[in-house]
Amino acid sequence: MGLQRYVAKRTLQAVLVVYVVATAVFVAVRSVPGDPARLVLGGDADAEAIAAVRAELGLDQPMYVQYGRWMADLAGGDLGESIFTGEPVAARIVGAAEPTLSIGLVGITIAILIAIPAGIVSATRRDQWEDYVATGVAFLGISMPSFWIGIVLLLTVGTAIPAIPSYGYTPIGEGVGPWLANVILPATAVGLPYAGIITRMTRSSMLEVLSEDYMQTARAKGLPPRLILFKHGLQNALLPVVTVAGILFALLLGGIVAVEMVFGIQGFGRLLIRSIERQDFPIVQGSVIVISVIFVFMNLFVDLLYMSINPKIKYGGEA
Amino acid sequence: MGADYGDATTVLGVRLDRFDRLRETLDGDYKATFGLTTVLLFVLAAIFAPELAPYDPMAQDYAIMQAPSLSSAHPLGTDSFGRDLLSRLMFGARISLGVSLVAVTIGAVFGVSLGVVAGYFGGWVDDALMRFVDVLWAFPWLLVAIMLVAVFGQGVWNVVAAIAFAYIDDFARLARGEVLSIREEEFVLAAKNVGLTDTRIMVEEVLPNAVAPLIVQFTVLVARAMLAESTLSFLGIGVKPTTPTWGALLGQGRSLIGQAWWISIIPGIAIVVTVLGINLFGDALRDAFDVRGEGGSQ
Repeated sequence: MGLQRYVAKRTLQAVLVVYVVATAVFVAVRSVPGDPARLVLGGDADAEAIAAVRAELGLDQPMYVQYGRWMADLAGGDLGESIFTGEPVAARIVGAAEPTLSIGLVGITIAILIAIPAGIVSATRRDQWEDYVATGVAFLGISMPSFWIGIVLLLTVGTAIPAIPSYGYTPIGEGVGPWLANVILPATAVGLPYAGIITRMTRSSMLEVLSEDYMQTARAKGLPPRLILFKHGLQNALLPVVTVAGILFALLLGGIVAVEMVFGIQGFGRLLIRSIERQDFPIVQGSVIVISVIFVFMNLFVDLLYMSINPKIKYGGEA
Repeated sequence: MGADYGDATTVLGVRLDRFDRLRETLDGDYKATFGLTTVLLFVLAAIFAPELAPYDPMAQDYAIMQAPSLSSAHPLGTDSFGRDLLSRLMFGARISLGVSLVAVTIGAVFGVSLGVVAGYFGGWVDDALMRFVDVLWAFPWLLVAIMLVAVFGQGVWNVVAAIAFAYIDDFARLARGEVLSIREEEFVLAAKNVGLTDTRIMVEEVLPNAVAPLIVQFTVLVARAMLAESTLSFLGIGVKPTTPTWGALLGQGRSLIGQAWWISIIPGIAIVVTVLGINLFGDALRDAFDVRGEGGSQ
């Protein structure tokens, strides 16, 4: 199978996956008991008003009509409007995404800054005290729930340094300083467990590379150890780490939701949970589609990247 | 993994001398020993909670609300209803450990079945099953949990279902990858030639040879499941608030951090120590079984 055909096939499959996820969430939100129209109007609304709102929102239509309309809108790139505020769903998601993305990006930066040096030291000083410390700390990182790290950080750093606010979020547009002060603690909480994972990966990837023939050759040629390590070793060792660090970003989401709660940040997690509580179908549907698109295409991208790194992997999954 | 095991006796495809290596690993390795000892301690505390716990975990005592640790007859202090934190932790261990074990087992049964069938048959079966696995993977498990709670109300089984759902794809991908290399082995081809049915070959020949990495994966995911359970309970979309899981205990302390930090810090320490123990034990298993790759990092 040629590369182009393979990419086309995988892209088509990815779109299919997103379509199935979208359909599943459409059915799922509607199987939750309750009526969004009643929630919009409040408990003591009369039946006539509720019927009017249902008609306005199109909720009185049969399921397949609602589904058809939604799919048609979706095909045109329209995610619809919030049942509660009437705002476009896309705008709501973009608005809520800034804090979440900030926490995620700063978190992964912190993780990489800690993990890659720690992993290299761990591999080059294998079975010495530096390795034990790095491995021990990495395991501790993997074993802590992010939100709990957040609570501990609040109690320690948050109370010790008054300049670091323990609550809320400042958009980056209002200044990088205040933004970073708000983001640093939640980002650390999210980043530490991932630092643990990336340290472990860097270590084993580095150990593998260190035992390769070309490293022996470089040593035999009498190249300086530092040059060998950084030029030959690191470049090769980091390739798999970087690809996986990319896909990790998608997985950060679960941790971020709980951390947003600890720090009272109105991010994507808060939006999703609140929208489910209020049965704001369009927002829930839109959010899930956005998440699944990120997941699926990130996965596809990483697969293709792996293939370009390692030509031994054949197209079509026949390993 | 090769088919040539020489003289080594195998049980479920795991060479017995690998367990000797496990014992060797445990002998010299403080990490593994610490891991196994901690896990056993917590499991024992969970099993014998009714005998060992100093108080009834539900008994409220308004005379000693939010008593700090080591300050009274309550070794770890009390919560905002005057309930003994140590007793609640011990009973909570039952639910937290139980939920994780059951959830990962269910995830493993579905995931491994999917993965083995996909890898064994290949072709369109593989394509179809793995795209189904992609759908499971792309559907956020947190959302599954929230939906289940919205439909059925809070409860232990929703948490089990949401976590099991989240791990099906991990097991499916790993099992498929193993089976892809095993199915080309001579003993599988031999079994086909003898005329064994596909089901028998998968269950009796292929699966046992994939079991070592799956055991390692299982351990790693039990650790992750404990973190997931605590996250769900903390967010209030897990068990009922009265059920003393570790995450729920921690969550109840959240609003009291200023006045009674230990209510959220102590259950957190219990979670961290247990998960750390499981992770270290899983790592020792990985070394002993000679499984490549980093668990928990897929």
